Amino acid sequence: MGKCIMTVDDSASVRQMVSFTLKGAGYEVVEACDGSDALAKLNGKTINMIITDLNMPNLDGIGLIKGVRGHASYKFIPIIMLTTESQDSKKQEGKSAGATGWIVKPFKPEQLLAVIKRVLG
Amino acid sequence: MDVKYINPFIAAAQTVFKSMLAIDVKMGKPIIKNKGVASGDVTGIMGLVGDRKGTLCISFHERGALFVFKTLIGDECDKLGPEVVDAIGELTNIISGQARKEFEQAGVNLSAAIPMVVVGKNTEMNFITAIPIISLPFSFSVNNGDHETMYLDFSFE
Repeated sequence: MGKCIMTVDDSASVRQMVSFTLKGAGYEVVEACDGSDALAKLNGKTINMIITDLNMPNLDGIGLIKGVRGHASYKFIPIIMLTTESQDSKKQEGKSAGATGWIVKPFKPEQLLAVIKRVLG
Repeated sequence: MDVKYINPFIAAAQTVFKSMLAIDVKMGKPIIKNKGVASGDVTGIMGLVGDRKGTLCISFHERGALFVFKTLIGDECDKLGPEVVDAIGELTNIISGQARKEFEQAGVNLSAAIPMVVVGKNTEMNFITAIPIISLPFSFSVNNGDHETMYLDFSFE
């Protein structure tokens, strides 16, 4: 069974693009529409990585990272930000919260997979 | 308007189409518009604030939007439904993000608002600026060698 990756984005289009790319590479995918939905869907499930947008309603990407890092079972799970934000201040904010990496949209599927392989091994 | 405030939008449109859709777009002759009216049938709108302020719109006619949706997502859609609206909103968000990145490299820091999408012909829009709107048409090939246009309309001061 492939490793399981959660994609979190309020845009269904982005979730679909990411899911299509990951499933094509043999990963299982769980989709969540914002940070709150993501935290609810973690709920004891084995997730090997989270790929999340930054700006989302209800709970944004930074809030999600803080929530995940505060959970003993998911404290060390890799979290990649996939966002249109490229400002250093935003990246620093993500890093301080516990983000593992940062990908700026637009992204190419092969670029996304390369980052995942590098992080998951 | 200083060309240094136009080039980031051109570069952003070309970069995003190339990297996410594998499509080369060809820019046509810019048009100056004195009235804020949507250029196409579905239009993503993004406000920009910071060192400058303005509005960016990404607009397609129905056939162009459906082609972009199919190319981006891989699914067929035959009308401008919620899936297509979401995809055009996200494309607007990504082009805006790429433009902000280009502006940042030129020393202009900008932040974006939440994108909105309107569906309808000749929809009136408020560009929050007093200066005219510049409309950049980008042509791209669709099925059977026909061409469609993405309109990048902006007003920036």
